[in-house]
Amino acid sequence: MSLWVDQYRPKSLDGLHYHRGLSQRLKSLAASGDFPHLLFYGPSGAGKKTRIACTLREIFGPGVEKLKIDQRVFLSPSRRKLEINLVQSNYHIEITPSEAGNYDRVVIQEILKEIAQTQQVDLNAKQRFKVVVINEADSLSRDAQAALRRTMEKYMSNMRIILCANSTSRLIAPIKSRCLLMRVAAPDSEEMTSVLLHVAKKENLNMPEEAIEKIVEDSSGNLRKALLVMEALKMQSPNLTGSLSIAKPDWETYCHKVADLIVGEQSPARVMEVRTKFYELLSHCIPPTVILKTVAERVVERVDESLKADIMHWAAFYETRMRIGNKKIFHLEAWAVKVMSLYKHFFFDIDMSSFD
Amino acid sequence: MPPRSQQATQKKAKPAVVSLGTTSLSQPISTSQKRFNPLTAYSLQGSSPSRGPPAKRRGGKEKIIEILDEDGEEERLHEHDDRLWVDIYEPITEADLVVHVRKVEDVRRWFTEAFEGGPSGKLRRYRRILALTGPSGTGKTATVQVLARQMGFDILEWRNAIGEASSSTWDPSFGINENYESTFAKFEAFLNRATSCRSIFPDTSLSPSVSSTSSQRGSNPPAPSPKHIILLEDLPNILHPQIQIQFHSALRAFIDTTSQSEFPVPIVIVLSDATMRGETRDELLTSGAGGYASSREKGGILDIRTVLPRDLLMGPYVRQIAFNPVAPTLMKKALTGLVDRHFSHTRTSSSLSHLVAPTKETIDTVIESANGDIRSAIMALQFTCIAGKKSKKSKNKKHDSGSTVLMESTTRRESSLALFHLVGKVMYNKRKGDPSNASATAKDIKKERALDATLMDPPRLPAHLKEHGRRASRVDVDLLYADSPIDSSLFSLYIHQNYTQFCNELDECQDIMDCLSWADSSGGEMWYQANPHRFHLLTLGTLHSLPSPVPRRSQKIFKPEYFEYLAKEKDAWEAVNDTRYWMTVHRGLGSAESLTTDTSRWSKLEVTLELGAVLKLKQTQAGRKWPGSEGLPPSHSLFSKLVFTSGEGKKGQQVDEDVVGDDDQTLAEDEVDIAVAKKFAGGENDGAGGDWLESDDIEEF
Repeated sequence: MSLWVDQYRPKSLDGLHYHRGLSQRLKSLAASGDFPHLLFYGPSGAGKKTRIACTLREIFGPGVEKLKIDQRVFLSPSRRKLEINLVQSNYHIEITPSEAGNYDRVVIQEILKEIAQTQQVDLNAKQRFKVVVINEADSLSRDAQAALRRTMEKYMSNMRIILCANSTSRLIAPIKSRCLLMRVAAPDSEEMTSVLLHVAKKENLNMPEEAIEKIVEDSSGNLRKALLVMEALKMQSPNLTGSLSIAKPDWETYCHKVADLIVGEQSPARVMEVRTKFYELLSHCIPPTVILKTVAERVVERVDESLKADIMHWAAFYETRMRIGNKKIFHLEAWAVKVMSLYKHFFFDIDMSSFD
Repeated sequence: MPPRSQQATQKKAKPAVVSLGTTSLSQPISTSQKRFNPLTAYSLQGSSPSRGPPAKRRGGKEKIIEILDEDGEEERLHEHDDRLWVDIYEPITEADLVVHVRKVEDVRRWFTEAFEGGPSGKLRRYRRILALTGPSGTGKTATVQVLARQMGFDILEWRNAIGEASSSTWDPSFGINENYESTFAKFEAFLNRATSCRSIFPDTSLSPSVSSTSSQRGSNPPAPSPKHIILLEDLPNILHPQIQIQFHSALRAFIDTTSQSEFPVPIVIVLSDATMRGETRDELLTSGAGGYASSREKGGILDIRTVLPRDLLMGPYVRQIAFNPVAPTLMKKALTGLVDRHFSHTRTSSSLSHLVAPTKETIDTVIESANGDIRSAIMALQFTCIAGKKSKKSKNKKHDSGSTVLMESTTRRESSLALFHLVGKVMYNKRKGDPSNASATAKDIKKERALDATLMDPPRLPAHLKEHGRRASRVDVDLLYADSPIDSSLFSLYIHQNYTQFCNELDECQDIMDCLSWADSSGGEMWYQANPHRFHLLTLGTLHSLPSPVPRRSQKIFKPEYFEYLAKEKDAWEAVNDTRYWMTVHRGLGSAESLTTDTSRWSKLEVTLELGAVLKLKQTQAGRKWPGSEGLPPSHSLFSKLVFTSGEGKKGQQVDEDVVGDDDQTLAEDEVDIAVAKKFAGGENDGAGGDWLESDDIEEF
């Protein structure tokens, strides 16, 4: 049993359904002997990792799919042990630096050095270099990015780096300039529909037109989400009859309720209530940025036109602080209180003008 | 860590007071006028060649009372009167104790139950460990000793005798001593012997490092009593993680063995509360010592939670009795009685005329500056009597003010504001000219007036800043910072948890929240990690934003929920990791080959944000159709269950009105928690209190 998302993930560049131009380019890159460092960026669910895997396969052949998982122990500068899972084949290694928390610099340096110092021993290998795939590169700390920048040049002879990030804005410029940037845009609705139909066909499913339409609309360019929703629908009613309702993830509905709370009443007591909800969301591993974004979007839907810009402005404002600060709840709550106060003043002012 | 080392030097230096008594006549000190640094004052005296018998330097953690005992013992030979009053007037009977009667009763009942087993006779096996906690100088050890005398049991006390062992056996020419036994091994041996064997000669010690203190101290000849207890006051170095583990297992083993035996020996652990000083950590952080040092710092506090493992502390075998600082009334009674006894005694017995009886005001000052520490109060009293003699010789008029300043500077203990009062002080936002409380006494009102008179009115603000105009605040932020028992980070959490009750308007909330948010993010790259001025910024920002005066509606102060949720979040991340691992392995099994590339595709965030619904469905499906065939690991259910609660458990109630009530209830539990646990609090001022203070008590602490 595996999820459809994984099961029907294209294995080769030719099998990809959309962004054919990009695939073509990757193919010629892999064929040329001169492969640069790459930086894949784009929204989640657009197919970045799929393309990375396909490119690797294009470079090294099917051997790259023989993976093993290593658990490695690194020592932080303060002698704390960090256990990190590494996925690697003979040709490449994948790391997710966010697993190392604050010590990502150590992990990155160790791994890169190790890779760089070992020569490719497999004589049949198509290329002389190994590839290091760094997932979630935008969560790399500044230290780690700075460390990366030097190593990228130094070990160019037997190592290439492929970075994968949602946005390039959090990567320092020197890294961006050392990589070939590959933007993987979210698929449009037609492309999504074709992928969904492709999977449905393989599963011998007869998906109703409107269901697919709804899924596509609901998942807003996130193909992974779309496929998961489709699978969930199938699991709910195996023969796909009756009214199909797309279940939103729990956290999303929860966020919407929080937004309703904020708009519903503005008082110190309500602040406490909203805080508890924020705490609850945070304790379920929902990233604070996602919470802020989801709640803000929902609040904006429900308020007067003239307030929307302000609300989003403050959301961005407190999001920045949140990134610098430690206690996420402070910033979430500060935003919520700000919005409440804005909202209240809005109505208060209207009342006053009507009196005049 | 400046304050602790300071404390340590103070402790070590204190015995020098003894010598002060003998040398002060030959060395006139012109101290009556200037306020001088207590530390340098001591060291000056301490380094003088005519110093009395040197204080024995033993293990760093040596308790002051024991040092004093030694000195007292030795000096008795030379001159009877040079003993410290603390030793001369050590409480012998229960009436002498300054501990609240109920506390003594609690301890006595515990001992009775430990020896006789209570009414049913079965309690004996559950009275294994008694932990006495509280600030130093509140009579914890004294209570045990008085009760030992009264109820007739022996005390076997453990002492870390590092000095003795190493000085006698250590020879630099031979590297390692074969007979070397680690201190902890000695401790274990002591514990074993003390629990299993009964001393034949109650006078002699079980091992070189053990002394039967009751026989030493008691004046009556020790009757061979079958009962004895183990007193642990001087613990092994449990700040070392490994020793802490060993210590915990030793305690567990102790409970295991003795709860079965017929005449089990109870352990009494006496533990003085050490408060964490807020500024220390902030300063450490900013000075670049970094997170590493600070995390060690955090663990470096010897409190009940480090000494006893959590499961034991919560379990049936351990009882904790917390002592409060000595109430001023009790202390006054005790000190006056002591002075009376001392001076009537000296008049009859010998010529101890170089001491003057302290005036009533002096005693009051001593009590005020002692912060509920009886030992420090007695020491201070003796010191004033000696110092007072000398200054009397010079100028009579200046005597009073001079000695007060001197005494204040030398005897004031580092006061620490109870957490409760700290938060209260900030949240009630008192400003100049606030109407006094309905329950305030005339004296309080007078004091408030006097305080107001010293406050300067802030300059008038220009028109465009009018809304920022406030009356002068009665809160002295610097003092607050110096006395704060918590660091600024925890302080901000407390403000965050409680501010809403104190606000009238949403705008006030907004200002406070903005200040909290700003202070939290203001460290960043400019300072090492945190803004060093955070405490001040937080306090001033909060004071500025709060309404003035703050309406009284019986607000209660709650503990921050932050940590609870943080723990939950940590568990949830574990579940996410487990799920990811399961997905990896599971897929691997499916494809029969080695693992495919698909596996690592799922990042943590993707799992949490997108997989929840599918996992839940799979869970129900697997349960219904093919139970077990999917090979679902338990961690999987843990994760999906988690999602389930987030979706439904709270959501259903969230819109309802009752949730508010529910929340209040859980908060109320927290509040009990805070009153009982008092993790950081120095304790309340009233001797009786285990309950919590009403808001009115905050003012005058």
